[in-house]
Amino acid sequence: MIALLAVGAVTFGTLGIGAWGVRLVRTTSDLLVASRAVTAWWNAAAISGEYLSAASFLGIAGLEMQIGVAALWQSLGFTAGYLALLLFVAAPLRRFGSYTIPDFAEARLRSPRLRLLAAGIVLVIGGFYLVPQLKGAGLALNVVVGSPYWVGVAVVGAIVTINVAIGGMRGITYVQAFQFWVKVFAISVPAILLLIHLGGLPERAALFGRSLPRAGDHGLVVRRLPVSETVQFPAAERFELNGRTVLVRAGEKLHLSAGSDLRLPAHALVPYATGITPERGTTWARPVGGPGQAAPLFVYSLLIATFLGTMGLPHILVRFYTNPDGHAARHTTVRVLALLSLFYLFPAVYGALGRVLTPQLYLTGQTDDVVLTLPRLAWPGTVGTLLTAVTCAGAFAAFLSTSSGLLVSLAGTISHDVWPRVRHGMSGSVAVRRRQFRSAAAGGMVIPCVLALFAREVDISILVGWAFAIAASTFCPMFVLGIWWTRLTARGAAAGMTLGMLVATAAIFTGLALGEPTAGAGVLLEQPAVVSVPLAFLVMIGVSLRDPRRLDTTDEMLALHAPEGLGLRLADQDLEVVG
Amino acid sequence: MAEATAHGQVYLRRLRRAQLTLSLAALVAFGAVFGVLPIALDLLPRLQRVRLFTVPLTLWILVVPIPPLFVAIGWLYARRADALDDAFRDVVER
Repeated sequence: MIALLAVGAVTFGTLGIGAWGVRLVRTTSDLLVASRAVTAWWNAAAISGEYLSAASFLGIAGLEMQIGVAALWQSLGFTAGYLALLLFVAAPLRRFGSYTIPDFAEARLRSPRLRLLAAGIVLVIGGFYLVPQLKGAGLALNVVVGSPYWVGVAVVGAIVTINVAIGGMRGITYVQAFQFWVKVFAISVPAILLLIHLGGLPERAALFGRSLPRAGDHGLVVRRLPVSETVQFPAAERFELNGRTVLVRAGEKLHLSAGSDLRLPAHALVPYATGITPERGTTWARPVGGPGQAAPLFVYSLLIATFLGTMGLPHILVRFYTNPDGHAARHTTVRVLALLSLFYLFPAVYGALGRVLTPQLYLTGQTDDVVLTLPRLAWPGTVGTLLTAVTCAGAFAAFLSTSSGLLVSLAGTISHDVWPRVRHGMSGSVAVRRRQFRSAAAGGMVIPCVLALFAREVDISILVGWAFAIAASTFCPMFVLGIWWTRLTARGAAAGMTLGMLVATAAIFTGLALGEPTAGAGVLLEQPAVVSVPLAFLVMIGVSLRDPRRLDTTDEMLALHAPEGLGLRLADQDLEVVG
Repeated sequence: MAEATAHGQVYLRRLRRAQLTLSLAALVAFGAVFGVLPIALDLLPRLQRVRLFTVPLTLWILVVPIPPLFVAIGWLYARRADALDDAFRDVVER
């Protein structure tokens, strides 16, 4: 009940500010990008607020519960992505002055067709990134009010669509900045209070020793299993199922129907759902090694995807145009690194505590729930309930802000880049364009919602990893080469991006079809970046070198690299590229 | 400005190269730590059994010291990059 109130407050706060923001929104450029000239700290908080999604808030801790310390490469990669952005993209891109990735593609390489290709890729990345947000929403609403999974997906999908349709980019940097601090509060305060309450991490063998996750001193009770599951018992066990005593052998699999009640005796080894491999404490503490997501190949592939993919996320880049100049863009990014470092101290706490205190999530398979349910289960009583309310509200802040940012980018791309091409030419008035933007927002949410309904069993962190892999295999090489290499041509960029995207998506869908093979090079199907990114770079360079058409890039290089305030730049003569 | 354009282009190319060199240097510094870390941890399995304040040392290593290092590299880079821009300004305005 308290959780519902907290979630409601966050949601209606966001919606209310969205509605209030409408009055501030007057022109298309306001609708697409909040007005410029905000201080670096505010901007950094806003970028971080938009960036921290369900993957950061729920996914890292959930994955950590499952595969152990190796999950923390994710948070490092998510942070390091801003270093790549800082080193190669931030200042030049801000100076160049295009609002969106398709704008940049067309302006730098003088090819309207490349714009369309870039727009298509924006839609794919945005779609892939929206699915895990909606999945998180389905899980979170289930924890808060016990609603079925699809209800949460539909409700948050609808709220975000309305929010975007009425408010554009919520007009305001300050709202996103505020959302960042909401999320930091919501993940840090419960974590710190829990650690104080428990007196540090509870010393149980499951966390550090040779043991598998076990029930606590008072046994383990699971009431009303949310979905039917086949679970495997690691040891012979006598337990209660729906009030009757059942005996299982070690390694036996048992099908439990939805709604079952289980009661395991004290210190019993916890059975685990299909798709989860239980780890002994020592293996759990292993950061690299072994099969699956801790395999060195996977770790490197993930690091490449996140390091290079961040710069290609459509909803992040657009935020950089609220910096007044290239210098400010750099310093904003450094602050983003600092703010993200602060946030990512905390998800690890939930994963470690969850392994010890909420082992029932191994049984239900819903480890992505751990941030939401841990406070309530680890600290019975009012305080625990309150803290769960806090983490639920924070999770909703994460879905709402990231999904809204993504949907703005998607809708902007559809109404701005794709629609005018299909219907030939920009149709005139502001009112018409705004209506197009709104219908695009509604349309852009439908497919991700449908996909999210099928993605319940796929971990949030895996889903987000795909969005990063595609971004890293397409937009990253286009930006890095387009900014620093004069010889890049439209044909080269198109070939590299197309191939990068094809290889990445083909790997992902093959992996899905084969049921995520985890041995040897099979992990590359789950995270293909280590192959697809170098391939995209090589093809882009190779095709550009063979392209007979050379561009004179003097003007573009001037716009990208000349510092402001010298009268060298078109932008200094107060010309703004408004799409 | 017209006569400065020919020189300007040369200066600008020089600036772009200098900025790229700086970025690559920062990338190498980053890679020297972060790129080697997974291999190093893979080769030192004994770390998994070491604990600090009851928590596996590996967890501490991944969570606490690395992100501040990113910030430090970023901060140093941004300062140097601004200095290169300023030097270019001085040359052009002279």
